Amino acid sequence: MQRGAIIFSLLGLTGFLAVNVAGMDEAALRADAQKVFKEKVGPFVNKYCTRCHGSRAKAGINLQSALKNPSGESGMLHFKKAAANVKVHDMPPVDTSKQPTDAERRQFVEWIGKLKHLAPRDPGPFIIRRLTKTEYANTLRDLYGVDPSIADSLPDEVVGEGFLNSISSLQSELFLGIANKVVAQVAPTGKAPTAIQKRLFGEVPPEGADHRKAARGVARSLARDAYRRPPTNAELNVLVGIYDLGRKNNLNHTASLSLMFKAVLVSPQFLFITPAGESESKEPIVPLDDFQLASRLSYLLWSAPPDAELAGLADKGDLHKPEVLRAQVERLLKDDRSRALFDGFGAQWLRVNALDGQVFDPKRFPEMKPALRTAMIDEARLFFESIVRENQSVVRFVDSDYTFLNEPLAKVYGLEQTVRGPKMRRVKLTNPNRGGILGMPATLATTSFPNRTSPVNRGVWVLEQILGERVPPPPADIPELEEQDHQDVKGLTLRQLTERHQSEATCRNCHKILDPIGFGLENFDAIGRWRDKTDEGLAIDSAGQLPDGTKFSTPAELKNLLAKREADLARNFTERLMAFAIGRQLRGYDDVVIDQLMIKIAKDDYRIRAIITEVVASYLFTHRRIKG
Amino acid sequence: MDSLALAANKKAAKPPVRMAFMYMPHGVIMDQFWPKDQESFLNSPPPIIRSLKPIMDQCLMMKGISGVPINPFNGAPHALELSTWLTGRLPDADSRGRINIAISADQIMANYVGAHTLLPSLELATMPQTWKENQEGLHEGYYNHCSYRSPTQPVPAETDPRNVLNRLFGKRGEKGRVSQANPLDRQMLDRVLGGARDLRKTLAKPDQQKLDEYLDSVRSVERRIAAIETRQQEAAFEKNGVAPSKRHATDSAPIEVKIPEGDKRSEYMRVMCDLTVLAFQTDTTRVSTYVGSRPNGASYPELGFSNQHHSQTHYGSDQEKIRKVAAINQFNVDQFAYMVKKMHALKEGDGTLLDNCIMMWGSGLEDGNKHRRDNLPFILAGKGGGALKTGRFLSGVKGNQADLLTTLLDCVGVPLDRPIGIATKQIEAIKA
Repeated sequence: MQRGAIIFSLLGLTGFLAVNVAGMDEAALRADAQKVFKEKVGPFVNKYCTRCHGSRAKAGINLQSALKNPSGESGMLHFKKAAANVKVHDMPPVDTSKQPTDAERRQFVEWIGKLKHLAPRDPGPFIIRRLTKTEYANTLRDLYGVDPSIADSLPDEVVGEGFLNSISSLQSELFLGIANKVVAQVAPTGKAPTAIQKRLFGEVPPEGADHRKAARGVARSLARDAYRRPPTNAELNVLVGIYDLGRKNNLNHTASLSLMFKAVLVSPQFLFITPAGESESKEPIVPLDDFQLASRLSYLLWSAPPDAELAGLADKGDLHKPEVLRAQVERLLKDDRSRALFDGFGAQWLRVNALDGQVFDPKRFPEMKPALRTAMIDEARLFFESIVRENQSVVRFVDSDYTFLNEPLAKVYGLEQTVRGPKMRRVKLTNPNRGGILGMPATLATTSFPNRTSPVNRGVWVLEQILGERVPPPPADIPELEEQDHQDVKGLTLRQLTERHQSEATCRNCHKILDPIGFGLENFDAIGRWRDKTDEGLAIDSAGQLPDGTKFSTPAELKNLLAKREADLARNFTERLMAFAIGRQLRGYDDVVIDQLMIKIAKDDYRIRAIITEVVASYLFTHRRIKG
Repeated sequence: MDSLALAANKKAAKPPVRMAFMYMPHGVIMDQFWPKDQESFLNSPPPIIRSLKPIMDQCLMMKGISGVPINPFNGAPHALELSTWLTGRLPDADSRGRINIAISADQIMANYVGAHTLLPSLELATMPQTWKENQEGLHEGYYNHCSYRSPTQPVPAETDPRNVLNRLFGKRGEKGRVSQANPLDRQMLDRVLGGARDLRKTLAKPDQQKLDEYLDSVRSVERRIAAIETRQQEAAFEKNGVAPSKRHATDSAPIEVKIPEGDKRSEYMRVMCDLTVLAFQTDTTRVSTYVGSRPNGASYPELGFSNQHHSQTHYGSDQEKIRKVAAINQFNVDQFAYMVKKMHALKEGDGTLLDNCIMMWGSGLEDGNKHRRDNLPFILAGKGGGALKTGRFLSGVKGNQADLLTTLLDCVGVPLDRPIGIATKQIEAIKA
């Protein structure tokens, strides 16, 4: 153990981590994985799976092609899905005679876990993406001193897996409209130049001077800021061409610069985070250049462009140095702008951003007014921020003794006697069932239906969002619980109803894992209020158990059980942050990198800044594949 | 009619034919949707379509249109009901993780007639098109889109009616509108697009597609500026007594569209319908698609229950659920009826606006209970400039949804070099 860890810290950032903690190098692990794959996985799949998932995909899983190319992106994904199904006894179907033993199932899951070592060392390509609305607004604020509300007319984005919803043509016209407004504020026509105008455009050259040359200089500095890297010559030519266009149409020097400025603001180089252009390198994998690194880092932690210090380090070519990069993470996290990490990443991880548009039955939950919804999201935000700011362990997300409340939200907690007024403030909690994201109204509400709780949704949420497990999707043609066509459901409690899942063979195996977790939270109603009785007036039974068999009988006990699984909590958080940071789902070799990061993160007691710093310093964050 | 108006009338060409598609997911309660026969169609229509009764003579229903068979995607009926709706074919089974299907009927029409109007096509949706975990390994986009610009490019829809209204029909002199923009903008954008080509070359294919989406939308802004220039010229001519070619003096004035203040679904859907009407009336576009709701997700608190649409559709023999689904079906048809009735009341050329349009309402499933696709529910309204014979219920039609789309494109005068999707023929019975 020690040896591996020491070599780790010596090698630091470079990513050439050839030795893992068990002392096996990558080549040995790969050889082992190949052997396991050939001798174990293959026979298992052929025996139990290929009859249905063979030559063609069934339920989207084709294991024959996965067997042919196990290290390929889709092969690996198919195996992971298969393992999730086998693990919970969802597959092979209960009505087939050939069933693996419990030991075989466990082994299969373990073998699939080794397949990552088959994957070639690969950081993946640099995925371009458009700036989010927030990033766009912040960028305009930081670069041009305009109020970020200038971008309010853009529609809110719907984000999923780090991707944005696509942009319609009328929406893109809004970018032009906003660019017009920015230009009008920065360089108002017919008025004395503003301070920012002077900074961006410089002095108007005297009569007879080379205006075009001056314009080229302005273009260079405008583009350096806006494109977040030095522009290419071709890009400068385009911009100067637009300056010329203005002059040809009888605009004066300043007005022509304004036209050019507007062009910068609607250029894809500004609106998209892109790699800096073609790399000269012949290698298939190259480090990100310092400009890309600066943007990736500042948009991750600030949702804003690199500031002068970051940009300066990129200009000097120093940013990629491990100690410099780590120090910058530290600096950025201390800055107030790092609050953006919740809006970008945190809300998406906890899935609470859905709360705004979620429908609640107005008769049953008349209190779900905008002010309360806002307070719920603010609570999650402030709680997330406090953990980052105070560099607490990731475990505190699940188990803590404080939260943030205002009066409307305090009513949900039953604390309205002590918390008055609309201002959110930190509140110490004494009730062990509260404190942490499991007992938090925002998450309890987003996992509910309009008129009732959903133990199933809550169970899935805990397993996937908190513990990072893969839950197999429900079979496509099975109606949801409340839709089932039975006359005998009347008079059953939700628990009894939900437990009926477990009487149906197709549902039983997954639901006996999902439902008990959700039942543990049944004392919280669909908007997160405590209750002792169901809507039917029956006492809530919140006893349940985790997939590993450990039992609990209250939300507080569930919380304690989850808090003990710190390695799982931390790994899940790390994986999700990594996927968000590099803008793609994790796969294959990524798992190997995460394994390596987890060793270092564990040594720092799973503190949040260790996680963020290791993600930023990782091979995946700092490299990209440019060929193959 | 005074002589000037007469002169203008003489000059006016035959109004263009326009076509719109309005979608509802999860199918219908069949026995409350299909008329028994021609007589009941006209005089005692079943509950779901009852709101169309006053203008049944302007409508056409045909029973027997089957959906594209969805094997090997049986586990993803809802992604398929939407994505096949206007493409008439299945996604590519070998590249499920990416969008790879076919250009949709509305976009084929947009390619053909779009150059004449401010917008080549208008795509509307009631709610944001969110990404969702999907079944059968299919890309999430298949859950959200029925319009595809090319096999790999879904067309994003507008969900904010205020934005559509301001951008397309904003009052003159309003700030921030393109029509007020610097006339050099068009040439500036052209250069920006040219410059983006170098950037594009350095990108991997999926990234190129992301960039293309933006570049396409910029291109459409550029085109809109050009169209606005034309429109302003027309306005100037009009001021000098030369009537615009497309309008008759007797045509109804453009309708007023008000953006609702609250969040009632009916008001929201109606304003989207109004925008479609206004866009057609002003010849802002000639093809429009409105995804009234996506599969899953929608609920209808106005109807007195908060259940989500999909959660009620696997009703089995549960009468309560059947009642709720029928109410949702009726609600959706009511909004369609609101739209086509309005169009029927607007004069255009020698007849009504509706006479010159084909408005199609429908779903991608026959019923949501069993995901059947043998008799997809469709309602057509409008004569398409005389191409369709309305006022009929055709019960024994044989054909599939791609045949229908192929027929409709023929009716609006779009020549096809090959039939759409799995089509093998046209459905002659619906034609005049």
